[in-house]
Amino acid sequence: MVTSSECINKTDEQIVVLTLKNQDYYLCLMKRYEDKLLNYILKISNLSREDGEDILQEAFIKAYQNLNDFDLNFKFSNWIYSIAHNTTISAFRKKKVRPQTISWENKDLNNLLKSTLDAENTSLQKLTYKHILKIINQLPLKYKDVLILKFVEGKDYQEISDILHKPMGTVGTLINRAKKSLKQELKKEDITLKKL
Amino acid sequence: MKNISNEVLKKIKDNNIKPKPRWYFVTKNYFIWLIFGISIILGSFAFSMVLFIIKQLDWDIYHYIGEGFLKTIFISLPYLWLIFLILFTGVAYYNFIHTKRGYRLKLISILLMNLVISITLGTGLYFNGFSERLENVFSEKIPYYNRLVYSCEEQWMKPERGLLAGIIIETGLPENNFILMDLDNNRWKIEDGKVIWKGKTAPVIGLKIKLIGTLIDNNNFKAIEIRPWQKGQGKFMMGGESIIFYFPDYFPSKFMDC
Repeated sequence: MVTSSECINKTDEQIVVLTLKNQDYYLCLMKRYEDKLLNYILKISNLSREDGEDILQEAFIKAYQNLNDFDLNFKFSNWIYSIAHNTTISAFRKKKVRPQTISWENKDLNNLLKSTLDAENTSLQKLTYKHILKIINQLPLKYKDVLILKFVEGKDYQEISDILHKPMGTVGTLINRAKKSLKQELKKEDITLKKL
Repeated sequence: MKNISNEVLKKIKDNNIKPKPRWYFVTKNYFIWLIFGISIILGSFAFSMVLFIIKQLDWDIYHYIGEGFLKTIFISLPYLWLIFLILFTGVAYYNFIHTKRGYRLKLISILLMNLVISITLGTGLYFNGFSERLENVFSEKIPYYNRLVYSCEEQWMKPERGLLAGIIIETGLPENNFILMDLDNNRWKIEDGKVIWKGKTAPVIGLKIKLIGTLIDNNNFKAIEIRPWQKGQGKFMMGGESIIFYFPDYFPSKFMDC
């Protein structure tokens, strides 16, 4: 059994090579991405936590089966995000679930709002927080997706392009439209953010 | 909360799940590039046919066809081959975006790239005479092909509009008149009064020609202008003796079409 200490100083790409020789190393990769990917899946899909975990399992198995397709010239994180994204979208379409309001961490929501609304710092009332989440969840998936990747996951344009398999120019356009759309929706609901 | 990573590893071990072999992805990738390449080549065939058909038509006779220039273009465009060109460009695009980094280019860049390659290769094929050979094969082997493509034959077989084409089968009649067998095997007496012979041609038995003139009746046609059927065909005058001259040894065969 491979222990996590054996992976500490290794890059994702090095662990991929090791995993192809010994499947136990795959645990290190999964551990590195488990939380991040589950959060990402839940945020873009609005699925319940149980459904999100099922999707993550499916994504990890898909990634393992396709490990030989991973190009070492690319970043593993983009590749695994891309698989998680595609698995979520197909599961989401299959299930046609009713939207649920998944709770976000305050810092994630603040990051998103700060970048979208160009506000320095924001404090949210409990009621407003729920309201804003509802608005975000009602945005079209393509907008919600890029906003989360850019402002919550902190990915740059090239990374988002590799995850969503879209040209960088298209990613830029999507982000601008998504910000505009979110601003409009917030304005429509008359939500004002109190600056700290 | 589940321990997802441990559960997945257990599932992988229990179900003996293995990574798909590397050759599978390499083959898949080559296959995508192969289909992309084939689509580009087929697109270039289609473009060479578009070029060939557009080039072989006589565009200066639109007023005889009785339509405006734009309408003549609209009637005469080789739609069949344009559809094939669009289709193969689409297939090439689809395959390109499924290559490893294909998604990084914009739709318009990929389409332009595909079209530029198909147009360049297609133009090369056209000048190589390939499109004429392909046209002949399609005309002979594909049923109804000629009905789908607007051809010179269709363009010139409109005697009621003053356009006629056929082969001279008899000469030496009074006033330089001659007999023509048209492309539908009808006999015509051609009145060759003050006709302009273009392309240095002259009435010689066996010569295939295109005529512009006026329909007199079902068997008589008054010619105003006569052109050789094949654009590269003509006659040299050597010491008062006329020689019908064909270019096939000197020019690519495409010049020999109508």
